[in-house]
Amino acid sequence: MSLMAVLAQAGSPAPMAASTLAHYLLVSALLLVIGLIGFVTRRNLIIMFLCTELMFQAAGLAAVAFGRYHLNLTGQTLVIFILTVAAAEAAMALALVVLLFRRKESLNAEEWQDLKG
Amino acid sequence: MLNLIQDTIVHAEPQTLGAASQGAGHAHGQTDWSVAAIVALPLLACVLTGLCAALRVKSKLPAWLTVASLAGAFALTAKTFAAHFMGAESHAFVVHVFDWVTFSWAADVHAQGPQTNELVANFAFYLDSLSALWMLFVTGLATLIALYASEYMSHDQGPGYCRFFAAFSLFVFSMACLVMADNLLLLYLGWEGVGLCSYLLIGYFYKKPSAVAAAKKAFIINRIGDLFLAMGVMLIFVQFGTVEYSVLFEKAKPYIELARAGNFAQIPFVVKLIPCLLMGGAFGKSAQLPLYVWLPDAMEGPTPVSALIHAATMVTAGVFLIARTYPLFLLSEVALPAVAWVGALTALLSATIGMAQFDIKRIMAYSTVSQLGYMFCGLAVLSPSGGVFHVVTHAFFKALLFLCCGAVMHGFAGQLDLRKLSGVMKMPGWRVVGFGMLIGCLNLAGFPLTAGYFSKDMILAEAFVTPGTAVIGWILLLTAGLTAYYTFRVFFRVFVGPVAYEMGDEHHGADHGHDHEHGHGQGHGHAKDHGGGDGGHHQPHAPGWAINTVLATLAVLSLAATGLYFVGGDHGAVARLVDQSSAGFHSPLAHHESGAGQAPDHGAAAGAGRASGHAVVSYVPEFVRARAHQGEVHAGTFFGADPHKAMYFVSAGVGAVGIFVAFWLHLAGRKTAAASRADALLPALGPLPGWAQGKWYVDEFYDFLVRKPLWVLSHILYLIDSYLVDGLVDFVGAAPKAAGKVIRPSQSGELHGYALGMAGGAVILIVIVALVAT
Amino acid sequence: MGELIHPFIVYGFCVLGGAAVCLALPRGGRSPQVLGALAGALIAGLALLALAIKFAPVLPNVYFYIFSLIGVGAALRVITHPRPVYAALYFILTVISTGGLFVLLSAEFMAFALIIVYAGAILITYLFVIMLATQAPQEDQTEVLASYDTRAREPVAASVIGFLLLAVLTTLFFRGVDRLPAPGASDDQALLAEMPRKVETSLRVAGLLREGETVREIDTALGVVRVASGESLREIPRAEWPEGLSVSNVEALGFNLLREHPGAIEIAGVILLMAMLGAVVLSRKQVEMDEEAKRRQAQKLGQTTGGISDVTGPIGGES
Repeated sequence: MSLMAVLAQAGSPAPMAASTLAHYLLVSALLLVIGLIGFVTRRNLIIMFLCTELMFQAAGLAAVAFGRYHLNLTGQTLVIFILTVAAAEAAMALALVVLLFRRKESLNAEEWQDLKG
Repeated sequence: MLNLIQDTIVHAEPQTLGAASQGAGHAHGQTDWSVAAIVALPLLACVLTGLCAALRVKSKLPAWLTVASLAGAFALTAKTFAAHFMGAESHAFVVHVFDWVTFSWAADVHAQGPQTNELVANFAFYLDSLSALWMLFVTGLATLIALYASEYMSHDQGPGYCRFFAAFSLFVFSMACLVMADNLLLLYLGWEGVGLCSYLLIGYFYKKPSAVAAAKKAFIINRIGDLFLAMGVMLIFVQFGTVEYSVLFEKAKPYIELARAGNFAQIPFVVKLIPCLLMGGAFGKSAQLPLYVWLPDAMEGPTPVSALIHAATMVTAGVFLIARTYPLFLLSEVALPAVAWVGALTALLSATIGMAQFDIKRIMAYSTVSQLGYMFCGLAVLSPSGGVFHVVTHAFFKALLFLCCGAVMHGFAGQLDLRKLSGVMKMPGWRVVGFGMLIGCLNLAGFPLTAGYFSKDMILAEAFVTPGTAVIGWILLLTAGLTAYYTFRVFFRVFVGPVAYEMGDEHHGADHGHDHEHGHGQGHGHAKDHGGGDGGHHQPHAPGWAINTVLATLAVLSLAATGLYFVGGDHGAVARLVDQSSAGFHSPLAHHESGAGQAPDHGAAAGAGRASGHAVVSYVPEFVRARAHQGEVHAGTFFGADPHKAMYFVSAGVGAVGIFVAFWLHLAGRKTAAASRADALLPALGPLPGWAQGKWYVDEFYDFLVRKPLWVLSHILYLIDSYLVDGLVDFVGAAPKAAGKVIRPSQSGELHGYALGMAGGAVILIVIVALVAT
Repeated sequence: MGELIHPFIVYGFCVLGGAAVCLALPRGGRSPQVLGALAGALIAGLALLALAIKFAPVLPNVYFYIFSLIGVGAALRVITHPRPVYAALYFILTVISTGGLFVLLSAEFMAFALIIVYAGAILITYLFVIMLATQAPQEDQTEVLASYDTRAREPVAASVIGFLLLAVLTTLFFRGVDRLPAPGASDDQALLAEMPRKVETSLRVAGLLREGETVREIDTALGVVRVASGESLREIPRAEWPEGLSVSNVEALGFNLLREHPGAIEIAGVILLMAMLGAVVLSRKQVEMDEEAKRRQAQKLGQTTGGISDVTGPIGGES
């Protein structure tokens, strides 16, 4: 038995306790909140996007945890799509960030307030 | 007698065309298109002159079109009159032109009394002797005055000329509708139409602020009267279910029977209210006491307008209204006394004002108001024939007087101040004007054997004959003296005496006849070409042929009107015509002396009632009923003499005194135009002459009573509007703006703020979900 | 109700955590950042410990605590570290620990896919962009941090909102997980019936198949594989199966993905295509520098190298 087998309870996964699910969800929520706070507080565009990636992580973790609890693989499938969207978002967003940086020579998100009411 | 109208009214049916015979006494007719043409011709003239304005005609074509049309209308009127109303016996008839207003609605089950559920007002003409007489002098005078105006208005050739004659023709059309209307609705149309034309023509010189103000004043004050008339018409419809005269008089018959029996208490209040409302309308249009103030100011209009509308025809519409609805006036015990008192007081008041004025046209205006008071008194003291006769004679001589004043005004560049004119008659070319003026003044003053003398006498005599109205008679007698005085004051100051004059500041004369371009932009372009102050060196120019012809014709007619008193039966042709109309069938005192003679015409019962003198009682208003109930009713006397006979001498004497006083004060020993012996007398009278010259400050009183409170009220309402209403509206507009101002900072344009808001929203949403889900 | 933990304790932890995060956020200059970070980690640990004490009998794997602490701590560092490069590196740590948690959740494939795609691809892109979009430090500057990196924006409000959200979420979790339906038994080997070739290969490699024998039928319910050679039929019971003959996570995931979400795959493909096209279009776009940015740069250039101030003079003169 490799360490991986131990970790993953390989073979037939046993049913998971509800309290264990709560643990995972707590961690997921923590990641989400930290990502959110980061998104709101940091001014650097790149770090803001990193924070969105953090929130993606949280969502993925919650999805996988629920899937594990229900012995259902759809949660993991969802993570695949999360990955896809995250990758697409990263590509587009970073391209935009580069353009914005070229325009203002700054990554400060507060430089961009053209939609001010 | 009541049946008279009913029996003789024949609704003309177009289908019977050709079948009917056109007998003089037989009015069984078809749609008489010649009657319709009387109304149509002025309208045609109005349209054509309007067309002239559109085509920018600069010649006198509009005047000739108008004169021709009106002459045609007059000829047709004369023809109709000759065909139907010349004989001793005449019948009213209706000429139906087209259906105008026809409403019908479902029966109201709760309605009380005989209700007809339709309103029919046809464009139809009710021709009886009264309306025919009226139309005769309206169209005749209108023709003459239009001819006069063709010269008088010649300084304004162009758009203004067309405008003048269009309004002039429209006025004649409206007046014809008013007079010949078959129903009260058409009468109301004409009533408002003449009011409109009056407004348009008073404000003819619309660049002149005083003219505009006068036009507005006339219009607004007329509105008050018109409101009363409208309410009266509505009440008539509500009460009787019709507005057509023939049906109306039939429906009113039971009440008339009640009134004849003296049972005024049994007549419903609403019915009694009708004549009071109609009276209000008549007072407004005919410039009687509460509402007379517009007429003197109306002299701002061109003089032909003053002559036709504000002296001869329109202002007598009130008299016509009362004469036309005379049966209704007999239903109320207060209506006729009220008319009598108002008329008498108006006559006296305006005569006193007229004495103190210096503007000759304004004096004539006040004399018009005064004479209108006479006419109302004539109607009210149960002498409609006297009132109507006075209307006719007054129409001629007052038109003559106005036109003479207009000729003076025209020739002396708008000079109307009698202190600045003297001896006009002695100037070359002014003889016709002077004689015209003299004839007019003699008529107005009631000089013996003039038409005015006889018509005034009829009223005065009836005032003393009718029980209880002797006070009215005394007032009128006093007024007659005053009238003679102020009339001849004008004549002695302006037309005779030393020759002296001062030109007015309106410069008609110098550019008259020149090829002068009167564009609309210049408006009243003839005026002030040479400045105001240097008028003295301009020569007055004598009137031309058109004016002289008209003046001569009118002078002759004024004199000839005397003849009306002597032909065609007792008290003259006019009395006969009036007796045969709606005004006549309850005016017993007017011809009580010859009641038996008239009786066969009117039916035995009525004739007997009148001959016995008892019918008289029923129609004597309440304020003489006490005396009437004592038993034998005796007609009033004038110090024991028959008032009719006495008045021939008394009024002649009073008139002569007035003329002599005027002669003594204003002609004898006068050396200059400005000063006269009267000036020395003025201080002795204290403040009275000043008050009279200030028109007894009635205008100021009205201003204080009506305008000031309205002004204050309107300013209060303005404040309410501008602060409360506008404030509310502004608040509605400002609230979103303010809210936006408060909320706008949240739209900082910063990504973080939006993200924070989104997170907060998510929190709230989840809390809601948690609360709802568990 | 059987709440896992008393809500007020949760709220207390949330408040403390919020305060800690608030402290940990960069404020420029000297700030109790480290203290905040330590406090945050301590509080997270305490929270997990509280859970652990309460649910001692059904504790999750101990590795859960390890990975959770690493992940949460690294996430905290991502948002608190002033330098973008370090933040990105800490993010890799978070991704890795998340991958560990995925392994604990029997999602091996996703764990590695996550690490490969995130840490390997996306984060590298981030690092490239960070390098592209960072101003070169001036000669006399030792500190290259931009001011916007060193100062957090509204840390208090953000922390309050964030931990309010956390409190609400945890309340929901702890209230709700008890009521979740118990997971049904799953036959994870059922998919073997779909994969006869894999079974045959596996059996053959294990030497359980004789010459000429082929797998005829796989009955996962009974746990037997029927093999046939000509007419003869033989059953191989589960006990004899080789160790590798089981449905792996990636196989199951593949079946799930392709059978149940074919439409989503198409959409994901389109999204990726669009992203690719977008990135190509955007990167080709020529961008003019902002007037103000130009002026700033000119000023900066003029300050640092006084010699070329005359070149940028007109621009500087305008300001």
